[in-house]
Amino acid sequence: MKKLLQAVLILAIAFVGAQSVFAQGQADISDQGKDIVEVDIFQFKVEFKDQFTALAEEYMEETEGVKLTIKTVGGGDDYGAALRSRFASGEEPAIFNVGGPQDVADWKDYLAPLNGLEVTEKAFSGVLSGVTMDGNVYGLPYNQEGYGLIYNKEIFNKAGIDPASITSYAALEKAVKKLDSMKDSLGIKAPIAFPVKETWVTGLHLSNAVLSQEFDNVNDAFNSDTVAFRYSEGLKKLVDLQNNYSVQPTLSLDYSQQVEQLFASGKVAIIQQGNWAYGSVAGVDEELAQNIGIVPLSVYKGVGDSIPVGVPMYWGVNKDLDEAVVEEAKKFLNWMYTSETGKRYVLEEFKFIPAYEGYDVSKISDPLARDILDFSSRGKTLPWVFMGYPTGWGMNVLGIDIQKYAAGNITWEELIQHSTEEWEDARK
Amino acid sequence: MQKKTKTRLLFWAFTGPLVLAFFIVVALPFLWGIYYSFTEWNGIVKSQAEWVGFSNYLELFSDDEFSDAFWFTVRFSAVSVILINALGFLLALLVTQPLKSANTLRTVFFMPNLIGGLILGFIWQFIFIQVFSSLADALSLAFLHGWLATPETGFWGLVILMTWQMAGYVMVIYIAALQSIPGELLEAAEIDGSSIYTKTRYIIMPLVAPAFTINMFLMLSNCFKLYDQNLSLTNGGPFNSTQMLAMNIYNTAFKFDKMGEAQAKAVIFFIIVAFVSLVQVRYTKRREVEY
Repeated sequence: MKKLLQAVLILAIAFVGAQSVFAQGQADISDQGKDIVEVDIFQFKVEFKDQFTALAEEYMEETEGVKLTIKTVGGGDDYGAALRSRFASGEEPAIFNVGGPQDVADWKDYLAPLNGLEVTEKAFSGVLSGVTMDGNVYGLPYNQEGYGLIYNKEIFNKAGIDPASITSYAALEKAVKKLDSMKDSLGIKAPIAFPVKETWVTGLHLSNAVLSQEFDNVNDAFNSDTVAFRYSEGLKKLVDLQNNYSVQPTLSLDYSQQVEQLFASGKVAIIQQGNWAYGSVAGVDEELAQNIGIVPLSVYKGVGDSIPVGVPMYWGVNKDLDEAVVEEAKKFLNWMYTSETGKRYVLEEFKFIPAYEGYDVSKISDPLARDILDFSSRGKTLPWVFMGYPTGWGMNVLGIDIQKYAAGNITWEELIQHSTEEWEDARK
Repeated sequence: MQKKTKTRLLFWAFTGPLVLAFFIVVALPFLWGIYYSFTEWNGIVKSQAEWVGFSNYLELFSDDEFSDAFWFTVRFSAVSVILINALGFLLALLVTQPLKSANTLRTVFFMPNLIGGLILGFIWQFIFIQVFSSLADALSLAFLHGWLATPETGFWGLVILMTWQMAGYVMVIYIAALQSIPGELLEAAEIDGSSIYTKTRYIIMPLVAPAFTINMFLMLSNCFKLYDQNLSLTNGGPFNSTQMLAMNIYNTAFKFDKMGEAQAKAVIFFIIVAFVSLVQVRYTKRREVEY
C-alpha cells in the first residue's frame, strides 16, 4: 500500500515536472521572432492587486514592446520565503520588493542602483535612508503609511472626550478610563480591542512607538548591537493599558476580530492600527468608516503627540537580468509615480499616501489618511525603525514575549532581559 | 541468456524513470540538505553558504523552543493517536451493526477527511473562538470561554480537530478488518452464551489487532509531521506554546532566515520520524507472521 502510494506520488511529481518543462518550451517558442521585453513583477501587496493590474494594462497600451506580468504573494514573511524560492528556481523576477536595510543587505548582489531617475529625485527626504547603501539607492517606496490609535468619533463625542487633548500618556489613560466607566451607556463591550495574537501589532508597531524614540532612524536600529529599552516603562504602560481595557481574551484576538467584528461594528472605541485598516472598516460599515480618526500612541515620559509614519515596502529592480529588461523595469517604476496616469492611479485607485513630491494630496478622501497628512504637515511624526530590528526579532521574539507577559507567564523585567539578549545574540 | 537480458531491460525500462525521479526529487535534495545543515546560509542563491561544522547541531541542545516544540509534538501525538483510534474503532463497531443508516453514517464520518487541513483549521478556529464563547454566554458555562487563548485549550483544540478529522479515516480500515472476521466464530461464541462485552474483548479485538497496528503507526507519523492544521488553527499561539516540530523548522528557516539551523533541525526530525517508521515496519511484520 505504502509502496503503491509512493509510486503514485512519484508519477504525479514526474507528470507535473514534465508539464512545466513542456509549458516552458511553448513559451519560448511563442516569444521568438518578436521584440517584446517581458518584465516580471513579484510583489506583496494583496489588497491593491486588481488596481495595480489595471495600471499595468494602461501602461502596456501606452508603451510598445513591453509586457508586464504581475504575481502577488501576500502577507509579511511568506513573501520572503516565496521570493527566495523564485530566485532559487531560476525564475527571477525583474521587479521585487525589499523591506529595509536588512533586505537590502541580503539582496545586494541582485539590486540595481536607482540613482538619477526622476522618481528617485522626487522621493521625500528621509524615505530613502533605509534603502540607501554606500550612496546608492536600491529601492523606491510604495507609499507612506501611518498608525496610532484609531478612534470612533461618535463614541468619543458621546463620552465628551476631545481627541485633540490626547498629547500625553496621562491624557490617553484618562480618556480610556473614562470610556471604561461609561461602557454601558456608550454601548461598548470594552474601550479597546488589543490583538495580542497578531505579533506584528505588538512586536513591530507598538514597540516601534517607543524604540523610534531611542533610535533616530531605521539605519540606527540596523547598526545597533543592542537595544536599551530606554522607554521600557512607557512600553509597559501601553501594553498594560491596552491589555487591561481590552475585550478579553486578548491572546486569541486577531486582526479580523479587532477591526471588523469589534471596531467596525462599534463595540469598541479604540484600536491600535494604521490607515490600511480603513478598507476593512469601510467594508463592514461605510458610514462608521467616515467617522474615525487617529490619535497618538502616547509614550509615558516620552513623545506623546506624534505618530509613526513610514514606508511599508520598497520596489527593487533585479540587475541580474538582461539590460533591456532592467531598463524597462526602471522606466515602468518611474512612469508609475511621475506620469499623470500613474499619479491618478496612486492617489485615486490605490488610495496611497504618496511618498513623492508633485501630488495634489487634497484629493485624498479617507479620514485616516487625512489625519496622517495632518500630523505630517505639523511635523509630528516618528520614524519607522522596526525594519532595522534583527530578522524575526520583532514578531517572533518581542511579540511572543509580550504574549507571555500578557498571559502572566513572565514578568516585565524578564521580557526586557530576554528580548535584549536575543537582540544582542542576533547582532554578534 | 537472451531472455534474461530482456527481463532485465524491461525491469529497468519500468523502474528506471521512477528511480531517476526518486533520485532527483528525494535523494538529491536530501543529501544537499545534509550539506546545508553544516553551513550558515540565508536562503539567497548568490550569498555563499558558510561552512560552520557541527555548530548548528550543538545549538539545538540549547534551543528551548526546539525542545518545547519536540515535547509538545510528542504529547500531542500520543494523546491524538489514542483518541483517534478509540473513536475510530467505536465508529466502526457502530456502522457495522445492521442499521438502516449505516451507509449514510459511514459517509458522514468519513467526510471530514475530505476537507483540506487548512480549511478545517479555520473552521474549527471559528467554532472554538466564536461559537464557544456565544455558547458560554448563552448557557453560562465558564469553561467554554477563551478557547485557544491558553496553552491547554490550544492543545486540546488541536487534539479535537485531529480526532474529528482522522477518526473517519481509521474507521474505514477498522470496518474492513471487522468485516473479515469469520461469521462462524461470532456465532459459536453466541451459542456458547458470551455477552457483547466478551465477544468484543476476546474475539473482535484480537482479530482486528493488525488493523490497529497499522492505524496506530499511520496516525503516529501523520501527527508527528503535522503542519497545516497547526498553522491554521493556532499558528503556534499563544506564545509558541502549541508550536509543533514542522512549524518550528519552517519558522527557523523563513522567519529568522537561518536555513542552516533549520536544516539541522530537519535532519534530526528526519531521524526521529525514520526511527518511528522503522519500528512500525518491524512491529507490523512481526504481527503478520502470527496470522
